[in-house]
Amino acid sequence: MAVPVASKCLGSLSLLSRRLSAPEFTTRCCYHKKVVDHYENPRNVGTLDKNSRNVGTGLVGAPACGDVMKLQIQVDDQGKIVDARFKTFGCGSAIASSSLATEWVKGKSVDEALTIRNTDIAKELCLPPVKLHCSMLAEDAIKAALADYRLKQQDGQQEAVSASS
Amino acid sequence: MLSAKPFRAACSSWAVLMWTNRLCISKVCMSTSFSIKDTWHCNRNVRSLLKARGLTCNTNQSSTLWNNCSGRSKVSCWSCKQPLDQTPAFFCVSCKVVQPPEEGTSYFKIMACDYTFTLDTQQLQKKYLQLQRLLHPDNFSQKSVTEQQYSESQSALVNKAYTTLLKPLSRGLYMLELEGMHIKEGTESAHSAFFMELMEINEALDEAQTPEEANKIGQDTKGKLAELTEQIDTALRKGILLQ
Repeated sequence: MAVPVASKCLGSLSLLSRRLSAPEFTTRCCYHKKVVDHYENPRNVGTLDKNSRNVGTGLVGAPACGDVMKLQIQVDDQGKIVDARFKTFGCGSAIASSSLATEWVKGKSVDEALTIRNTDIAKELCLPPVKLHCSMLAEDAIKAALADYRLKQQDGQQEAVSASS
Repeated sequence: MLSAKPFRAACSSWAVLMWTNRLCISKVCMSTSFSIKDTWHCNRNVRSLLKARGLTCNTNQSSTLWNNCSGRSKVSCWSCKQPLDQTPAFFCVSCKVVQPPEEGTSYFKIMACDYTFTLDTQQLQKKYLQLQRLLHPDNFSQKSVTEQQYSESQSALVNKAYTTLLKPLSRGLYMLELEGMHIKEGTESAHSAFFMELMEINEALDEAQTPEEANKIGQDTKGKLAELTEQIDTALRKGILLQ
């Protein structure tokens, strides 16, 4: 299937709080106001120290549309996610999906965060069918961050074992 | 405010070209381990490819994708029943009547281009205009309904062939399709180092303070694109030579 690179995505950056010329909130043709809200007031944009043992970093992308998403979680010693940050380069829906993802993972345990589904994200943001892959990407980012955290914990445990023996 | 759009588009192109490139190279590596008659010439691959496009096919026609008319079944003009000796035959040589498009003809054959990744787009455009001057339905408004329908199909097919072959990305993907490979949209099988690189480029672009800095990043990305395009061309060429 030929992939349209002439992007479906807005081609926007997440970091700066740029104001778009305000879209009129008419039906059908625009981003949903929830998506616009996340775009204009992004939550949890930023970076955590990826070298820290308590930080899991998930970096995912969709080469088909050029989206790249980085999601980081900070987990305390009880296995609860206390902080989350994201950086996304992609369309408004991708930014909103990852922003929402960081909001949702905060306060959850590592196991609870695994239950977040792309369908929930898409439903919350009222994503149209053509943008469902953005919510999928956000789910993948969460899982990648959790997997990275798990790996670090396992490595840490192995180090402790070999140090004591 | 700096416009990041063109560079994002270049980034996207690069991302996909890179992904395409990786698949090309892995395909070339795969094919070297099989005997030539097993893989790419395999009718099975071609048949499944044609099926995927919803076309009917027969074993004879599959070879038209690669070769010039060796062993293809003879097609005759629907009007005067004379054999059509060319591939593709837009018009009958004898009675000059427009012919329906032949299923399974590759876009390269339709646009009379060599089956390579590097293409002379000017030549392609010339051929496109030439063909549309002959085939466009406006030329057939006084002709029979059948001829009008045939000219419509031919014209649409030429449009499709042209737009697919014009851009390197769609051309590369089409060539992979012809080799039986499809790239799905998704995040699987991509390396995190690749995403890291993409992330860094995007961040650098975001932090650029002047148009010159942004342009430099754009130039670097274009350079990478050109390099990848060359690599893809080499990989595809190698793969074709292995047939």
